[in-house]
This record gives sequence, structure tokens and C-alpha cells, in this order.
Amino acid sequence: MDILIGLQTANEVILVTSRAISRGVSVLKHDDNKVVKLNSYTAMAYSGEPGDVSNFAEYIQANVALYGLRHGIEMTPNSVAAFTRSELARSLRTRKPYQVNLLIGGFHPREAKPMLAWVDYLGSKVDLPYAAHGYAAYYITATLDRYWKKGLTLEQGLKLAAQCVSELQTRMPIDFKGCDVHIVGKSGIQSADLPPIVVAPGVANKPSEATLASA
Amino acid sequence: MSRRYDSRTTIFSPEGRLYQVEYALEAISHAGTALGILAKDGIVLAAEKKVTSKLLEQDISAEKMYALSKHVVCAVAGIDSDASRLVQRARNMAQNHLATYDEEIPCDILVKQLCDTMQGYTQYGGLRPFGVSFIYAGWDPVQGYQLYQSNPSGNYSGWLATSVGANNAAAQTLLKQEFKEELELEDAVQLALKVLSKTMDSATLTSTKIELATVGSGADGEVKYNVWKPADIEVALKKHKEAEEAQKK
Amino acid sequence: MSNPSEINGGAAVAMVGKDCVAIASDLRLGLQSVGISGDFEKIFEYNGVYLALTGLATDVQTLSIDFRKKHSLYELREERRMEPQTMANLVSSTLYSKRFGPYFVGPLVAGLNSSTSKPYICSFDSIGCIEHANDFVVVGTASDQLYGICESLYEPNLEPEDLFETISQALMSAVDRDALSGWGGVVYIIEKDKVTKRYLKTRQD
Repeated sequence: MDILIGLQTANEVILVTSRAISRGVSVLKHDDNKVVKLNSYTAMAYSGEPGDVSNFAEYIQANVALYGLRHGIEMTPNSVAAFTRSELARSLRTRKPYQVNLLIGGFHPREAKPMLAWVDYLGSKVDLPYAAHGYAAYYITATLDRYWKKGLTLEQGLKLAAQCVSELQTRMPIDFKGCDVHIVGKSGIQSADLPPIVVAPGVANKPSEATLASA
Repeated sequence: MSRRYDSRTTIFSPEGRLYQVEYALEAISHAGTALGILAKDGIVLAAEKKVTSKLLEQDISAEKMYALSKHVVCAVAGIDSDASRLVQRARNMAQNHLATYDEEIPCDILVKQLCDTMQGYTQYGGLRPFGVSFIYAGWDPVQGYQLYQSNPSGNYSGWLATSVGANNAAAQTLLKQEFKEELELEDAVQLALKVLSKTMDSATLTSTKIELATVGSGADGEVKYNVWKPADIEVALKKHKEAEEAQKK
Repeated sequence: MSNPSEINGGAAVAMVGKDCVAIASDLRLGLQSVGISGDFEKIFEYNGVYLALTGLATDVQTLSIDFRKKHSLYELREERRMEPQTMANLVSSTLYSKRFGPYFVGPLVAGLNSSTSKPYICSFDSIGCIEHANDFVVVGTASDQLYGICESLYEPNLEPEDLFETISQALMSAVDRDALSGWGGVVYIIEKDKVTKRYLKTRQD
């Protein structure tokens, strides 16, 4: 039930992750962080099997740090994604594969380009302009298909992310305690807040002021 | 003294020397000269191919120039069979890096990794060091063109111009005199030929006696290595001879 | 979800023409019924030899990378190009090496022999059994549909332009009848000294 959303804007990538940890019908935590910083320009959002996720995220973080230390240069977001994919693909053929789905958001400082990679637990990796994992994907890919455009400003991107979250708030069966937002751009990785949404577009079950007045 | 410390594995002698490594270096100092020059827009490697007998079949492929990856090529001085094993390893390292990280291995990382294996052979029991020095010419998008040299101890260093093998002291002196920072690749090729012509025993250079390799950007702007064909070497040699004639007059 | 070959979807086809070969695939990558990407290319080029890999996307990626490695090392070692036949045997032995825990892929090889220019195509099952053909080969979740349409559209000795038309129509008709394939296509026409790559626009449903 964890929510992972990623979307590219003209100069950055926005990663949106839910704050709740839930088991069955219970919410166990309301301020969980599902994003790990891998290096100056790469962040990874993760969800999946509870024990696996933290272990895998830590493993990738450590290996990316080790590469930077050994070779004196940081890995590019593209090579981080490729490395992570290869680790998941390798794990898939072991006795107990990692069950982790990922979104890797990065910014290529040399080419000044953002990138977003969608990676599933099987080790399939695709570079996408916008992406989501889990149940969230069912609810919001249509929204993103409709409203995402090439070359969005950061402001427009955050607004679109807020639209998605608002849609999820009405549709998801369990409160996911809101979302954390991380932005990866030319100045590195920053957290941010979503702008408030007055009326979420396409939300049919919210009656408008006019309908209420006439009733 | 040395008899007690050099016959078996690589252990320190009381003077703090590793005889096996020194013997390996000695083996290389008899090998054909190899040199490398870093230019503004590329790198040239040149090597002397020792023709030991007229009867020896002239191989079509290069003996001393080996491509290691898309952007790295190396010149060999020393025992060819040792070199061939190391080249095989280096190619595997380069391809494994590409497979894992979806990016070509940066030149310095490849050199570092290969030198780590070479170092291992100077320390672990029952092994002898590789009798090979390499000169590497490489390019990567972060550091651009790079020239490195390594030796059997596993030490490596970056250079603007360097040489190994027989007569390398003479070659090094010449390179020191003639090297200029703003050298273009074409001039670097000519300088390489000039140095080789002075350090080699034979009076005239021919394409059967030398090998050339360059790393530079092609017509499409993409950086590529090029192990030169004999015909291309002849063209460069012709230019070299003309320049020499002109200087005599 | 029970059949790994049908999680991500995708289909490919190769055909022989007159002194040319064609290879084509769709561009979809999905998770069951949900489309994820419309630019997931399944055809990989190895210095003139073309390999299509359909099936489980992770294995498609793992194998395409593995073949890039093996192909590069081959060409560096042998100092010559790898022929399509050689590539086919490399694919076969690589797949069979995982006989008891296979890669869930359906590969195709297409190319022209570098010296004779003779067309070569073949397909494989997931454990590397080669199937040769001198007309067409098909793989993927739309392979049944592809067999049908190729049987009726294919004719021997087509010129490159006609071969492009035939393979494109075959691919598009087939993937329209398969929910797991489509979302655009890509076609390579391989001639002696020319390769043409074209993208196809198809239905987006």
C-alpha cells in the first residue's frame, strides 16, 4: 500500500513517497521516510517487503558510497540505476530474492539533465518521464498521462504531484499519512512541501459548493 | 647475498629489495621500445617490433598494441605471453564494468584495477611477477585524454610523454626536449616516429618494424582507438622522412 | 503472473527478403495489463548482427548486456566480425547453460553473412534450441497471431521496400490482436551496406 511517485520536470525530478507504515488494517508509523540519498545527485525511493527494503537500500547506498571513495568520482545517476538493476536481477535467481520496487531520481550534473528510472523487484529498469509503483499506479497513471507535459516548471510539477496525492487521498482505503517530497536538481537533493490543492480535478465524490447550496 | 632471497617467492632482501620484481624490470629493459605521447586532441602510442629472423612469419595482427576497451588501448613492453594474459584480464574488467554500470570504464580505474592484480603477483607465495610494462592511452568524459604507464610491481603513474623498454633513457631525454603542451595529435605521431628512429638500432624505419596506435576523435566526433594498418604507418613514415630531409638541408 | 514470459509482454518477427533481412518488434513494456513504457526496444545490434529478445523484461536486459559483453570480447580476441550463425550458437549455448533455471525469453537472430551476404534468420526457445527458417520466424506473446498473418502475407524474394511493408503490416496486425503487445513498433531492414531503422506508430490501447 506504500505510495511511490516520480515525475520529471524540465530541470529536476520530483519523488513523492507516503509517510505511513501499515500492517493489515493498522497504521504502525506516520512519519516514515522511504527515500534514501545515494550521492549528491541521486535519490532512491523504495517500497516492498519490510525487512528487504531497508536492507537493500542500505546495501545500495553503501556500494554507491564505496564506488565514490574507491574511484574518486561519484557514480552518475544512470550508472547507479544500472548497478541497482543488476543487483536485483542477480538477487532474483537466488533462494530468497529481494522484493523491492524502486524509483531512482537523479540529475546528471555534466549534461544538466534530470532522469527518472523505474525499477521493479524482478530487475526490469525503464527510464520514464513519470512513474509510480503499487496501487498508487492504478489511480494516478491516468492523471499523469493526462496532465504531464514535457518541460514542466518545478512549480507546475509540484502542483501535479499534489493533484496525484489528493486523488490518492480520496481513493486509497487506508490513510497513508500524507507524503514526503524530494526534489533532485542541479543544487542536489532537497525536501519540499506540496502546494495546497483547493479542488482536486477529476474527484467526482467531492460535491461542489453549488451542489451543496441547492440541496 | 641475492641467492638467499631471490630464488623462490617474492620476499624482501635485507636491503629491502624485491629481487623478483627487479628481475622482471630487467627483462623489460631488453624488450623493444614503446612510447606514448599525450597531445591536445589525442594520444599516440608507438612501439618497436623486433624482427628476430627473416624466416619468422610476419603476423597480420599487431603484437604490441592491444585495445582494452572502447576508449583505452595499450602498448606492451616485455614478455608477450605475460602481456596477453593481462590484456585478457583488462578486457574482462572493462566489459564487466560496462555490464554492471552501463558506462565505459574510466581509464584510470581500469589501470588501477589491472595494477592491483599485478601487485598481487609480487606478494603472494608461489607466483612470479608479470614481466610486462604497459603504456596506456585512454579517454573518458570526465578526465579527457590520459596517458599512463605501469610496471611489474603494480605501480602506475600518469605522464605527458613516456617510454619503456630498451633505450628508454635515450627516448625519455628526447621526449623531454621535444615535448610541448600544445602538441596536436598529428605532430605527436611525427614526434613518436622521430624518437623511435633515434632509439632503434636499424637505420631506416619501416612499417614492419614499428607499430602505431592512437586514441582520438573520429570524423563523427566520437572518441575511438585506432591500431594503425601498415599502409597508414607508411604514410606517416613518408612524412617523417620528408621532414628529416628538409632538416638536413 | 504464473507465466514469467507473459508478465511484461512483447513480440518480434524476422523475415528473409531478396539479399536482405528484416527484423521488427513492438515497443511495449507492461506489468500484466498495465502499460508502463512505450519505448522499450527489444532489438539489439551487435556490429551488424541483430538480436530480438522478447519475454521477461529483466531477462531481456540481463541477456542483452551479457551478449554485448561476450560479443565485444569475441571481436577483440578474434579481430574479426561475429557472423549471424556464430551469434546464434552463442545465444543457444548461453541459454542452455541455464537449462534448469532458464531465462524466460524468446530470442530471434537476423543478419547477413559478412562475406557472402547470405541472409540468416533463426529463433530459439527459452533453453536455446535453434529453429532455422528461410522465410520468417516469430516470438513473443503475439507469436500465434504472427504465425497466422505471416503465413498469409509472406512471399519469397521481396525487395527491401516491399519487405518493410510486409513485416510492418504483419507486426501491426498481430499486436492489435494481443493485449500484451503493441504501443508502437520498430523495424530494421538490413541490406549489404545499408541498414534502415524505422519506427511504426500503432494503436495506443
